[in-house]
Amino acid sequence: MSFEPKIVAFLCNWCSYAGADLAGVSRYKCAPNVMSIRLMCSGGLEPSFVLKAFKEGADGVLVCGCNLGDCHYTDGNYKTLMRMTLLKKLTEQLGIEEPRVRLQWVCASCAEDFTNAVNRITEDVRALGPYKKEKVEVESGKNT
Amino acid sequence: MSILKGKPDDDIKIGVYVCHCGHNIASTVDVEEVARRAKELGEVSVARDYVYMCSSKGQNLIRQDIMQLGINRVVVAACSPRLYEQTFQNVLRESGLNPYLLQVANIREQCAWLHEPGPLATEKANRLVKGAIKRVIHHSPIEEQSVPVFPATLVIGGGIAGIQAALEIANSQQIVYLVEREPSIGGHMAQFDKTFPTLDCSACILTPKMNEVARNPYIRLMTYSEVVEVSGYVGNFNVKVRRKARYIDEDKCVGCGICVEKCPWSTESEFDADLGVRKAVYTPFPQAIPNIPVIDKERCVYFLKGKCRACEKFCEAKAINFQQEDLFIELHVGAIIVATGYDVFDPTPISQYGYGRLPNVFTSLEFERLCSPSGPTGGQLKLADGREPKSLAVIHCVGSRDQNYNAYCSRVCCMHSLKYSHLFKEKTGGEVYQIYIDMRCTGKGYEEFYERVQGEHVRFIRGKLATITADSPDSETGEKLSLSCEDTLLGGLVNIPVDMAVLCVALEPRHDAEQVAQILRLGRSRDGFFMERHPKLDPVATMSEGIFIVGCCQGPKDIPDTVAQASAAAARALAMIVRGKMETGAITAAIDETLCSACKVCNALCPYGAIFFDEVSNVSRVNRILCKGCNVCGAACPSGAISTRNFSESQILAEIEGVLV
Amino acid sequence: MVALTPFKEAADMLMEAGAEKLDNCYQCGLCTGSCPWNQVRSFLVRRIIHQAQLGVIDFESEDLWLCTTCRNCVQRCPRGVEIIDIMKAMRRVITETGTAKIPDSLRLAITNIAGAGNPLGEPPEQRGDWAAPLRLKHKADSSTLYFSCCIPAYEPKVKRVARATAQVLKTSGTDFNILASRENCCGESVRKAGDENLFNSLAEKNIKAFSEAGIKQILVSSPHCYHSFKNEYSKLGADFEVLHIVQYLAPLVSEGKFKFKKEVKKKVAYHDSCYLARHNGIYDEPRRILESIPGIELVELPDVKENTLCCGGGGGRIWMDTKKDERFSDLRIQQALDVGADVLAVSCPYCMLNFEDSLLGFSNTKTVEIKDVVELICEGL
Repeated sequence: MSFEPKIVAFLCNWCSYAGADLAGVSRYKCAPNVMSIRLMCSGGLEPSFVLKAFKEGADGVLVCGCNLGDCHYTDGNYKTLMRMTLLKKLTEQLGIEEPRVRLQWVCASCAEDFTNAVNRITEDVRALGPYKKEKVEVESGKNT
Repeated sequence: MSILKGKPDDDIKIGVYVCHCGHNIASTVDVEEVARRAKELGEVSVARDYVYMCSSKGQNLIRQDIMQLGINRVVVAACSPRLYEQTFQNVLRESGLNPYLLQVANIREQCAWLHEPGPLATEKANRLVKGAIKRVIHHSPIEEQSVPVFPATLVIGGGIAGIQAALEIANSQQIVYLVEREPSIGGHMAQFDKTFPTLDCSACILTPKMNEVARNPYIRLMTYSEVVEVSGYVGNFNVKVRRKARYIDEDKCVGCGICVEKCPWSTESEFDADLGVRKAVYTPFPQAIPNIPVIDKERCVYFLKGKCRACEKFCEAKAINFQQEDLFIELHVGAIIVATGYDVFDPTPISQYGYGRLPNVFTSLEFERLCSPSGPTGGQLKLADGREPKSLAVIHCVGSRDQNYNAYCSRVCCMHSLKYSHLFKEKTGGEVYQIYIDMRCTGKGYEEFYERVQGEHVRFIRGKLATITADSPDSETGEKLSLSCEDTLLGGLVNIPVDMAVLCVALEPRHDAEQVAQILRLGRSRDGFFMERHPKLDPVATMSEGIFIVGCCQGPKDIPDTVAQASAAAARALAMIVRGKMETGAITAAIDETLCSACKVCNALCPYGAIFFDEVSNVSRVNRILCKGCNVCGAACPSGAISTRNFSESQILAEIEGVLV
Repeated sequence: MVALTPFKEAADMLMEAGAEKLDNCYQCGLCTGSCPWNQVRSFLVRRIIHQAQLGVIDFESEDLWLCTTCRNCVQRCPRGVEIIDIMKAMRRVITETGTAKIPDSLRLAITNIAGAGNPLGEPPEQRGDWAAPLRLKHKADSSTLYFSCCIPAYEPKVKRVARATAQVLKTSGTDFNILASRENCCGESVRKAGDENLFNSLAEKNIKAFSEAGIKQILVSSPHCYHSFKNEYSKLGADFEVLHIVQYLAPLVSEGKFKFKKEVKKKVAYHDSCYLARHNGIYDEPRRILESIPGIELVELPDVKENTLCCGGGGGRIWMDTKKDERFSDLRIQQALDVGADVLAVSCPYCMLNFEDSLLGFSNTKTVEIKDVVELICEGL
C-alpha cells in the first residue's frame, strides 16, 4: 500500500477555518490527508502542539492564520510569524525536514489558498516519506 | 447562571452523534462506519447516526440520551461548528448540561465536501471524530458571565453624526456626554452652504438640531474638550476628559458678544477655511452652540505680551477669567460612540495643480465657505482680485481614487461637484466645466440631481486633470487659469481657460486618528479609517465591545448615511442600557496563580489590555470581560500558567492525539 | 469598427514581456495629459493602454515608438500602471516576433551597438581616444571606473563632457580607471527600445569587463548608464557602487575640495534630466554644485524636478528622427530663453546632444549656451 501522509493543520477560527469551510462549500477538492484543528487565533498556537503532533505520528504540520494586517485580534498573526520562525529552527535542529512544517496565510475568502496549501504539503511530505518520530520524543517530553 | 452539571471528575459518558446531512455527508463518508468505530472506543457510551442531526428529531436524540442514559459529554459530527455549534449547545443547556461539554467534528465542509467518496474520506472522518472524542473528555463546564451596564453614554465628536447619536439617546431619557474638541458643535456640516440633492440650506436643517442639543436636559455638552484617557470595559468605562480653558466663565457669560466686538486682534478663521478673519476672542460662527466665546491663547495679545484686556473691561457679566486652567473631568459610562469625523486632503503636494501658488485655485471646503451667506464674502463668489468669476472648473477625485494619495473613492465629491455647478450657475450664470473620471451618483435622488444639473448647460469632460497653469493676464479678462487634460471621450488633449478652479479634495482620516485609536483600542483599516466589527453585517460596532463608530471616522460618507449610522449606534447603546447587562464571551483565558511566575510577559502581549498585574498577590490576572480568548498569552507563557477556556492545552493535545493515533 | 474579439495572445505576450498592472488602468487619461508629446502633437497614451488591455494593438502604428520613457505619466498614474513597461513590452513583441517594422534610424543604431558596442558604429578601439589629449595617467589598478557613455566618447560635440569630467576628477585627486575599448554601451535605451536580448548581452559583457578589471565603484556622466548600472545590472547579479558624477562631486564641492579661482558670471538654468530626476530622485546635488561655483546665478525653469520637461531623447528616441516642429528640446530652449538664462546646464549627454541640435534652429539674435554641470566647475577653476 502506498504511503498516505498524516498531517495536522492548525487553523485560526476567524480567517483560516472559515476559508477551509469555504473550500468545502465551493466543492474544491484536495488531498484527504490533512486533519484540521481549530484554534481561536494562530497566535495562540503553542509550540508544544507542533511537537506533540510529530510525536503522535504526524508526518507534517500546517499552520494557517489570517493575512498579515487582517488579524481578528489586531496582530496575533505577527506573533505567529515570529513564533513559527523560531519553531522552524527548533524543528530543523530536531531533524524534522523543513517542508514538513509550513505556515500559510489563508483569509476567509481564500478557499483556494487553503486547498493549494493542503495539496502542496501533502505532496512534499509524500515525497519525503514517513517521519521517523523517535527524534522528537526526547525533546517534546517535557512539553506534553 | 449556575454551572450546569458536568464536573471533570464525573464518570465520563460520551455520546457521539454522526449526521448524514441527507446525502451531503453520507454520499462521501460511510457515516454508519464512523458511528460504529466511535462506539468501539471505551469512553463512548452511545454512538448514533441520523439523517439530519440539526432537525428537531435529531436534537431530541441527543436530549433523550442526556436525560435517560446520563450522557455528560457530547460529540456531534456534522457541519462546521461555525454553523450549528450554538444550536447543539442549546440542546445541552436545555437538557441541564453545561453547553461547553460539547465538541463538534466538522465532517461536512472540511471532509465530505472537500474529498472524493471512498475509504480515505471515511478514514479522515473517523480521525476527526476520534479527535473530538479525546478532546471532549477534557472539557469542563464554563460559567457564562454578564456585566452590569452603567446607564450613560459618551459621544465623542459633535458633528452631525455625534449630534444625531446624542439626541437619539437623550430622547430616550438616558444620559449622554457629548464631547467636542472645537468651541462649538456643528462639525463640517455647519461649514457647508447647501446640501445635495435637495439644496436645503445646511445651517437651516442643522441649527435646530444644535439647539435641541443645547436644550435637552439629558445631554451634558462639553465643547472645547478632548477625551484623553479611557479605561475599563463594556458597561463600565472610565473616561478622562480635558476641558480646555476658555478663559471665559461659562456660567457667567451671557453670550452678548461685546468681548468679540471690542477685541482689537484678528487672525485667520479656521471655520472659514482660513479665507476670512476672526478675533482672538471668538465664537467660530454666529449660530455656535454653546454661544460662549473662547480666548485663543496663541493669538491673544494679553497672553502674548501681557497687555490689552479690552474684553475684560467691557464684559459686564465679569465672565472673563485669564487665570482659568484646563480641567480634567472623570466620567463613568456604559457605552461609547465615536463620531470624530474627517479631515480634508491638502492638495499642495500635487504641485501641478498649483494650489497655494495660484490664488484662484480653491478646495471644495473653501468653495463652500465662499458660497455661504455667512462666509467671508457674504456668499458672493469673488476672485482674488475681487472680480466675479465668469467661468469655473470643478475637478473631481483630487487625492481620491489615486494610489499616490488615497486609493479609495471619497463618495461625496461627485455630488457636491454637481451642487457647485448649480450654485455657480445660480450666482453668476457663468460657464461650468466638470472634469470627472466617473460619475458616481448612487443615493436616493442623486442621479436625478445629476440630470437636473446637466440640464443647466454644465459641460462634462471625462478625464483626470493633468495641470493648471496661469495664463498671462489679458487686459480685458484679467488673469485666467489654463487647465489641461485629455478629454477621453473626444480622444484628445483639451485646454480649458477658466477664472476659477475648485479641487474636490478627498475625505481623509483625522490627522490624530492613530492617537484616538490607541486611547479607545480601536483597529484601523488599510485606508486609515476606524475599523468596524464586520464590513457588512456589523458596520457600527467595533472589536472593542461597547464602543461604536459612526459617520466619516469609519469611512467617507454623505449626511444621510451618517445620520442613519448615528441612529443605529444609538440603538445599540440603548439596547445595552435598557437591558442593564451584557453577556461576555465564555472563551477567555485563565491564569493558574500557583504556576504564575510574575514575569509579566502576558501583560504586554494582550491586544486588549485584559491582563493586569496584581502587585499585592504578585501574579498576573485576567479581566474576563476584556479578554477575547485568542490565547496569545497562553502560547507565550513560559510557566504554562495560562490556559484558555475551551481551547486549553490539554484539550488541544488530546485532539492532536485523537486525530493521529 | 474594431471587431472586439479580444486578442488574448497579444495581451498575454505583453504581460509576459513585463506589462505590469495593465488591467488596473481606469482610463482617466492623466497619462495623455502628462505626456510631453501632447505639447507638440497628439499622442493618446491612454488609448494605447486601452488597446493593450483589449489586445487590439495596432503594431504597425508609429505611436508605439514615440514614448520617450520620461516617466511623467507613471509618476502621476492614480492606479500605479507601469506605462513605460507596457510601451517597452509592445516594442519587445515587435522586435522579437517581427510583427511590424522597426523604425530605420533605430534599427541602424541597434545594429551598430550589436556590432561595435556603440550606437554610432565607431570602432571600439577608438572608444578611449577622447582622453588622449589629456595625457591621463591611467590608474589601471584603481577600483573606481569613470564610464563616459558612448556619446561623450565619440560624438565630437559632446566629447568635452568626458574631458571636463576627467579633468575635474584629476583636480579632486580621485584615482580612476578607464576601460576604453573594453566598455560597451550600457544598453539602457536598447532595452527601452524593446531589444531585451541585446541588452542582456551588453550587460553581461560590461559586468564581466568591470569585474575583470576589479571595479568596485562606477562614476558615470549619463543618467541612462546610471539607471541601468544601478537598477538593472544589479538584478543580473552585479554588485558595484554606482554614482552619477554630480552625486560624487557634490560632497567634494561642499567640503571645499575645489579652489575656485574664477567667477563664472552667468545666469544658469539647470535642466533636470528625466533619468536623474524622475527615475532616480536626484535633484539637489547638481543645484548644490552650481550654487557653490562663484559668480553663477541659478535660475529655475518653469518645469523642474519631478515635473521636468523631457528633452525627447529617452527610450531610444535619441536615435530616431523627430520632426522639426515636434521637438521638446525646442520648447525647453525657449523656456531657458524666457527666463533669461545665459547657460542651460545639463547633466546628461542625451539632453546635451538634443539641445545642441535644437539651438541650430533658433535665430541667433539671442541664444543660450549648453553646458554640462561639470564643465561649469572647470570654468571656475
